[in-house]
Formats: sequence, C-alpha cells, structure tokens
Amino acid sequence: MTALPAQSIPAPRRDPAPRPERRLRPAPEPARRAKPRLAYAVIALGGVALIAAAQLLLSIAVAQGAYEIDAFQVQQAELAREQQKLTEDLDRVESPQYLARNAEALGMVPNADPVYLRLSDGAVLGVPTPATGGAVASAPLVPNALIDGVPLVTERPAEQTPIGGSSGEQPVAGTGATSIIPPPADGLPTPATH
Amino acid sequence: MNRTSRHPLRRILLAAVALVALVGVFVVRLVDLQVVRAAELSEEAEGRRSTSVTVYGSRGDIVDRNGVVLADTVMRYDIAISPKNANAGPIARSRPDPSDPSKTVTVDVPLEQSAAELGAVIGLTGEQVQQIVADSLAENPESDFAYVAKLVDTETYERVKDLDIPWVVPWEHPSRYYPNGAVAGNLIGFVGTDGDALAGVELAADQCLAGHDGEYSYLHSLEDWVQIPGTEVVHEQARDGGTLKLTIDSDLQWMVQRIAEAQVQAVGADWATVTVMEAKTGRLLAVADVPTVDPNAPSATDADDRGSRAFTAPFEPGSTFKALTAASVIDAGAADPVSQIVAPYRYLPPNGADVNDSGYHGDEPLTLTGVLIESSNTGMSQFGERLSDQERYDDMLAFGLGQRTEVGFPGEEPGDLHGGPEAWDNQTKYTTMFGQGLTTTAVQIASVYQTLANGGVRMPVRLVEGCGDDTPAQSQGTRVISESAAQQTSAMLERVYLEGWLADEWEIPGYRVAAKTGTAQVPDGNGGYLSGYLVSVSGFAPADDPQFVVSVSIMNPVKMNSSAASAPVFQQVMSQVLKKYRTVPSGAPAPELPATW
Repeated sequence: MTALPAQSIPAPRRDPAPRPERRLRPAPEPARRAKPRLAYAVIALGGVALIAAAQLLLSIAVAQGAYEIDAFQVQQAELAREQQKLTEDLDRVESPQYLARNAEALGMVPNADPVYLRLSDGAVLGVPTPATGGAVASAPLVPNALIDGVPLVTERPAEQTPIGGSSGEQPVAGTGATSIIPPPADGLPTPATH
Repeated sequence: MNRTSRHPLRRILLAAVALVALVGVFVVRLVDLQVVRAAELSEEAEGRRSTSVTVYGSRGDIVDRNGVVLADTVMRYDIAISPKNANAGPIARSRPDPSDPSKTVTVDVPLEQSAAELGAVIGLTGEQVQQIVADSLAENPESDFAYVAKLVDTETYERVKDLDIPWVVPWEHPSRYYPNGAVAGNLIGFVGTDGDALAGVELAADQCLAGHDGEYSYLHSLEDWVQIPGTEVVHEQARDGGTLKLTIDSDLQWMVQRIAEAQVQAVGADWATVTVMEAKTGRLLAVADVPTVDPNAPSATDADDRGSRAFTAPFEPGSTFKALTAASVIDAGAADPVSQIVAPYRYLPPNGADVNDSGYHGDEPLTLTGVLIESSNTGMSQFGERLSDQERYDDMLAFGLGQRTEVGFPGEEPGDLHGGPEAWDNQTKYTTMFGQGLTTTAVQIASVYQTLANGGVRMPVRLVEGCGDDTPAQSQGTRVISESAAQQTSAMLERVYLEGWLADEWEIPGYRVAAKTGTAQVPDGNGGYLSGYLVSVSGFAPADDPQFVVSVSIMNPVKMNSSAASAPVFQQVMSQVLKKYRTVPSGAPAPELPATW
C-alpha cells in the first residue's frame, strides 16, 4: 500500500489496541548529493572557449591563406603573361620567314637543282650545280608582320651570338679537303667538325 | 489628480494603439524589405560583396599536318580610360623624397603629364590622349569610359600597369596570333577585332574552333578585393575550342608561296595559284595563292586578294584539260595512245564549228600521244567527237568538275560546265574538248590529275585532317576511269613531259614526270576574250608510282605570255616536294610511244 491522499477520511478507529505495524513511514532520505565540482565547469567553459579560439584561429588562418592564395594567383597571372610573351617570341622566330632571312643573312642560298646518289649502283642522278643567285631577299615574298623589326642573327651584338660554332664566318674555300664538307644533296644538316 | 489617471483604460488604450502602429510600421518595412524589394536588394548586396569574372574559353589552335601552330589564341588588352576621372584633377603619386631617400613624398601629377606618359606607352602623343578625354566629355560630361588603344600586347599592357594611373583600366581581350605570318594565310583566313571568324578555315571550321566563355563569381574583401575562401560560385563552365589539324605542310607551303611570288614578280602576273596534292589520298599539302594575305594584318592586302583563288576563282583551264578528254576517249575504248589522225591547222567539223590551233602548221600525222605533245586543238577535236557530248559530260562530273570539292572552303566556286550538253552550242561542243567554254577551279584541276595519277580512282579533296580527336575516316574514293585508261593517259603525259616544247624548262633529273601545259584564253565577261592568258602546268611524279600532284596557274604574265612562265614554278615546286619527302628516284625510263605516224 502506498500513502493515501491527505484529504481521505481516516478510517474509524474500531480497535483502540495498538496497531501491529504502522502503514505510513517517512521515505528514507536520499543520500545527500555531492556538491558539483568546479573542475567540470572549468572543463566545459574551457572547452567552449577552446572551440571558439580554435575557430577564430582557423578563420584567421583561412583569411591569411586567402591573401597568400591571392598573392600566388597574382604571381601566377604574371608568370602566365611572361610565358605567353616568351611563347609568342619563340613562335615568331620559329617561323620559316625568320629562319630563311637568317639563313640568307649568313650567306646561304637555296639550291633548286637536287642531285641524287643512288646507293644500289652508285649512279649520280642529275648534274651537281652550285646554287646560284646570291642571297635572295625572300622576306618580302612571304610577308610576316610579326617579325618586322626583329633583329637577325647577324645584326645582334657579338656577345649575343648563339652557340653554334663560328656563326657568321664563312669557311674559306680551298683550304683543305677535310675542312669543307660539301652540302648534302638532299639538304640534311651535317654537323661541322673542324 | 490629472485626467489620465482618472481614466486608466484610456491610457492603456493609447499606449496599445501607439504600440500597434509602431509594430505595423515595422511589419510594413519588413514586408517591403523581405518580400517586395527582396530580390533587388539581395542583388545589390551581392553586387557589393561579390564580383563576377569571365573565364575565356580559348579559340582552338589551327595546326598543320606536323602539329606546327599556324593560328594561336593569345591574350591582348584594350586600354580604356575614364574621361570623367581624368579630368577631375591631378593624381597623387608618391615619390622618393629627394632630400631623404628612405622617405616618400606625395606629388601631384597633372593631366598633361599623365596623358603624355600614357601616350608614350601606347603610341599616341599626350595631346591625342587629352583630345580623347575632351571629345568624350564633350559628348557626355559624365563619360566614364573611352578606349585609347585596342589589342595591345602583353608588354604594352605591363607598361601601362606600371604607370599606375588610376583613371586607366586595361581590359582583357582574347585575340588571334598567326606566328607564321602569310604562310597559308590564304587558307587559314582571319578573324575580326571582335573575334568573329571572317575568312578561310577560321570561318569554315568555326564550329570546331570556337570556345565558349564561362563565368564565376566570388565574395571579396572590401578594401583589397581578396577572394573570401569558399565563396566561389561557377555560373557557367568555360569550354575551349578544338584544335583543327590541316593536311597542309607549313614548310612546303612557305617554299611554294615563295616560288610562286618570285615568279609572279618576275613575269609581272596578276596572280598565281599553286596546288600540291597527295596523289594517293587527295590531301592538299600546299595551296599557294599569290598575293597572299598576312592574317596578322589583313588590311594590308587588297580585299580581293585575301581569299584563296585556288578555290574561289574558276577559270577556263585550257590545254591541261586535254588529259581529261584523252582519258575519257581511252576509257570508252574509242582510241588508244597510238590511234592515228591527221591534225590540220584548221578543222571544220560537220556541225559548223570552227577549231584552230594556236600557231599555223601544215597537216600533221599525229597519234593521240602526239596530239597531247603538240597540244593540237584540231587533233583533240577529232578524238573528242568519237564520244557523245553526254558521255564526255558525265565523265567531267565524275572527275569532280561542275561541283564544289569536298573541302567546302568559304566562297568556293563549283565552276561552270556551260550548263550541260543540251546547253552547249556547236562551237562549245568542241571547245569543251580542249578546256575552253567551261570553267574549273585550280583545286578541281589538281583533283583531275590526282585521279589520273591514282589509277583512275578519285579521292575526296581534303584540306582538314580533323578537329580535336575527331578524325574522319579516309574514304575509299570513287573509280572514274579504268586503271588501264589511267595508265595509258599517264604514259602519254610522260611523253609530253619528255618531248613537249618545255622539256628543258621543267626537267627534274632522276624522276619520271607526267605533265601537261595549258595556255588558256580568259573570258572578258562579255562573250569575248581578254588579250592576256592564263598559263598553267599540271602534272604528277614519280610517274611510275605517282605520289604528288602539282598544279600551277598564273594569270596574265605580261612579260612572258606563255606556259613557259609556269613551267619553272612546276619544276621548282615538284623538285622541292620530291626532295622534301625523300621520294625514291625512278628506275626504268618512261615507255616509248610514237607521236607521229
């Protein structure tokens, strides 16, 4: 049985004799709870503070990173422009017009009379003819607006002369059979070995 | 006691009404901001905090058969100014203090000086820059935008930026760059300053080449416009155009243009075209048109000279056409290379036509081979009339004449076969046997010789190898005449090369060559003919295993009005082609065929 509501009317005492056992007893007092320790509060608040601080630091780092990224992007754009400039330069000096003008400036002339050596029987097809006509100014023949004003290899200052041996100097004819390698009939490049 | 305290209810009521009115004002304002003007306002907020950037989808490159870049997309810059701000007063600029180099002083730079500085970089005078400012302010006192230079290169752009003038703004402007200048300029074409393709394969293959610009936006910091991480929104992805690969060999193209231009200058011709084609595949290796446009500066060339006449200028081919008629006759079994006729100077067929040879001669006993060697119109007429007009016309169509080639070049002409057999008058029935009274383009003639060189199988003419990874399969070609007819025609053309009057002019030692000259009259457009000629040579080599077709046409060479003007071009171009591709020289000599009887 549990405790009855207070309003309920007590049962009439029929038997004055002491009851063998009391029905209602005070509930046992719960054990007194320990006071919450300060450490917990410190940990919780500290955690919150820590998270807040970490977030702050992270966003500072991210913001800082944004500036770094921006700086790198600016640098990348500059380098891309530089690369484009150099590629453009390279492309136009690779053009056949520029190569031909340089070859002509160095005294080379095209030979329109190819001569062939047939390996099977050693027959020479065609008559070996020295290229004639001198340096033809081919530049105006096939125009290229991009190489106007680009200096030729012969017009550069001496220290800028690209590697490639004695560029600009004509080998002196007749100084010895070994020093002059006749140009191959099919125009294959041959390294000049002095 | 005052009145209100006497009526507490009224006081409460008043406060309530005031409260409700206040809340009402707030609600109205809230609805106004959040509902009525929400889109507008958030757009404005977005606009203030974020910036949108265009990502340029670059136009595809055009490369030759070996991957050499012929057309490239580069970034150029338009230099714009704000006239309003330029006129607002001197700009402040910090300079090192002359008395103490570690400090800086701020100096005022007047408009005169900054305009002169800007002008020096972009190639104007200071006065011209100030004039632009004054002009646009005169038009609109609040003017905030005017161009001072367009499409300047990166170097100029950097120098402009270094000037650090606040009222100058450079804008990116993708542009086209043709590193090889006029090499294949006639074929590549060019684009306008606004990036629209205007000519050549730039126009024909625009769908392949065109890129698609993209756009993204991001939130930025207030002062220095640094992107806030994680705020990038891509509105549209940029897409680059495809790389267009041509069948052209740029080195050969350069050499061919050079040879053609030199000859045009030497003989004082109006124009010339040279076509080099692979005999077995129909691929064009070089198509030179002189004069040639430099796509970097198209305006330097006359508008008429900016295209490719090899495709767009049909002409009466003249005697080079006799090879086609001879091939038709042999294919039909109506004659063979040693069939005999007597060729008079003047031939009057029964239908009333009147055919003459170019120079007076007596009656000559010629074979079909001899007719080609002598290039006799009367002789060719006697062979050609062995076929019906319809048969010859059908063969012309099968050889690809009278219709545009498979290239589909912008402005390409189909040529005109003078209608058809039913439209030919009696004279035209005969002149079409030797290439007058009908028109063809240079590329069509090259295609005819390709068919003869390739055993009678015509390959579709190709200028474009493919777009990106998409390379169309090589067609099998179509048979036009029998293999034996093609071989017999080729053998006759070899005799023309060896015995024709230009034999010494076009000799290429070591190779067997088949070729035919033409000296065609040029219609004046009013039914008559001009005094000048279109001289041409078409042929292929090595004749024992044909690899290359070369077709040369020179219009009106005033200093040398005969095919002797075109023969050296043929010789030089063919030599160069054979040399360049390391073609093995021919072994056995050309077979003998009698020219007379």
